[in-house]
Amino acid sequence: MQPFTVLTATAVPLEIAKIDTGMILPGRFMRRHRRPGHDYSEAFLYDLRFDEKGHPRPEFSLNQPSYSKASIVVTGADFGCGSSREGAAYAVMDYGFRALVGPSFAEIFYGNCLQNGILPVVLPELTISEIWEQLRAKPGVELTIDLPDQVLIDADGRRHPFDINPLRKDRLIHGIDDIDVTLEHKEAIIDFETTRRKAFPWLPTSANI
Amino acid sequence: MTEKKTLFQKIWDEHVIVTSPQGEDLLYADFNFINEGQSFLAFDQLRIEGRESLRPQQHLAITDHYLPTKNRERGPAGIEDKEIRNVVEMLANNSTDFALPHINMNHPKQGIAHVVGPELGFSQPGMLITCNDSHTATHGAYGALAIPIGGSNQLRHVIATQTVWLHRPKTMRVLIDGTLPESVTAKDVILTIIGKTGIGGATGYAIEYAGTAISAMSMEARMTICNMSIEAGARIGMIAPDETTFKDLSNRLMVPKGADWDKAVAYWKTLPTDDGAVFDHEIRIDATEVAPMITWGTSPEDCAPIDGLVPDPASFADVERARHVKRALDYMNLKPKTRFVDIPIDRVFIGSCVNSRIEDLRSAAAVLKGRKSVVPGMVSPGSTDVKRQAEAEGLDQIFRDAGLDWRDSGCSMCNGSNGEIVAAGERCASTTNRNFEGRQGRNAMTHIMSPSMVAAAAVAGHLADIRHTFDTPSSFSASASAVRN
Repeated sequence: MQPFTVLTATAVPLEIAKIDTGMILPGRFMRRHRRPGHDYSEAFLYDLRFDEKGHPRPEFSLNQPSYSKASIVVTGADFGCGSSREGAAYAVMDYGFRALVGPSFAEIFYGNCLQNGILPVVLPELTISEIWEQLRAKPGVELTIDLPDQVLIDADGRRHPFDINPLRKDRLIHGIDDIDVTLEHKEAIIDFETTRRKAFPWLPTSANI
Repeated sequence: MTEKKTLFQKIWDEHVIVTSPQGEDLLYADFNFINEGQSFLAFDQLRIEGRESLRPQQHLAITDHYLPTKNRERGPAGIEDKEIRNVVEMLANNSTDFALPHINMNHPKQGIAHVVGPELGFSQPGMLITCNDSHTATHGAYGALAIPIGGSNQLRHVIATQTVWLHRPKTMRVLIDGTLPESVTAKDVILTIIGKTGIGGATGYAIEYAGTAISAMSMEARMTICNMSIEAGARIGMIAPDETTFKDLSNRLMVPKGADWDKAVAYWKTLPTDDGAVFDHEIRIDATEVAPMITWGTSPEDCAPIDGLVPDPASFADVERARHVKRALDYMNLKPKTRFVDIPIDRVFIGSCVNSRIEDLRSAAAVLKGRKSVVPGMVSPGSTDVKRQAEAEGLDQIFRDAGLDWRDSGCSMCNGSNGEIVAAGERCASTTNRNFEGRQGRNAMTHIMSPSMVAAAAVAGHLADIRHTFDTPSSFSASASAVRN
């Protein structure tokens, strides 16, 4: 997992509430493989970015050149609600975003983001509106998100502190995901299974299937 | 005195490797089943990270969700839908790449994971079993701790580490005492329970089903009960192992043999809940009062005995509930106060991980024998072994003679991910476990019930009370020739 410390980058406004995981990763893309160079970047918010004929919607913020280098999305409330599809977080990541800023996020989606190196930042609704104004006034302007200090610095230099679970914060800063954490206990796992196999030698394996 | 423990607590405690400072337990997974679903995301991410499977032989990949139930002879090449074929091929390739044993579409043991696992004896008392499917609790019928996991992050974690991080749930006992009336089945019991708890009532709990009605049940019936724990909100549902369990297991392929068998049984006998152990919550059901059940709405909790009426949204005091019921009746195209037995159906489906075992097929066939279904429908046995057994008993001929399609095994029309769906606007009497909007197909209407109740509905052409099916054979013969295709 890519570590996240301090990110200064262009932010794009996404002034829509309740963007659900079905919009983030439309169902028809869900049967696709994810490989380097062939990932979910195309699928990300496809139906918002493109019209029925597959033409980019010029009015949609993500399609505007001034936001093309954005790594931060500033979004409306309840981002990531709906189905628990874990591919939605991959789509955000594959499109190139490292941080999402919004008034609220759906719980499962929030967890999946942290699990994949994406930082969701929750700020009050009013603050989000002010940041949207800044991003509209000066398209392409940068925000800074300082995870160690738990603060977002907006385009006017104002500092907005945010909360994050200390365990998740630590893992994100060091780029360690759940598997890395678990493998710190690898010796305990091996000891456990050795003892277990001795006690219950009949436990099934699928070797002969 | 040692601490009094429940069945759940004994097995959970037995599998804790470490506990995190946040109170999550790292649990050892003795065995993990993998279906095609979204699992390719887990494999893709493992590949991107360069990780391997820690214990490949403690996994079994089983293709079940996306397999069409006909034209299997040509293998994946015979699957018409390119995307569906792709998902089927991905699991085959991923299993090969990660050295995981795999039951693919043409394997002689092919079937639904929650049918095949127990059938082969993989699901044993005291084990911790995981699977990327919400109906994993099915294996809990054998006194195993069977836990559904997420198809991507958690599955990826189990493949790489053979463990899973989980918060310990609270415990709930559902006590079902008494003898079930004739024609009342395990499906009716679990629907009664869900009707009582609601769809979220058991969220955060591990359920143990107990009582004399459970003790009297076959393993098939116990699996039907545990299967639908998730529809009450519980990820875990289990039943203490007993002589019925041991007898069932004794003939299975993967179970211990010889001296190991005796040792295993001795251990399994220590697992049932200790007398005096305390549950966080308890529900009691009087088995003698359970009636044949049907669902009328768009959530499994929207269920009632067959001899009732469609409810009136206005009769619910709870505003949210009333709003749900109104929306559900709109979707289901039902008018309040209609008699359930007057609801006509367009189609039947017999199958899925909750009701596709040999006993289920026998009970449906007993109703259909010598009768015709007046609506089209299909029967998909839970596994290829179940299919062979049913054919040896002549059940396939009964279904065919009744006008139903006899298919291969898979999840099929339960959720339609293999392309076999109920058409928009069609109403289906179904032995499955979910009736959410669009579950069997966009704008398809689902009524869940037991296999014999589905068979009765097939013969009647409308929802029917199995208790009266045999009393009034003449009412069926009139319409028996009108088999639609």
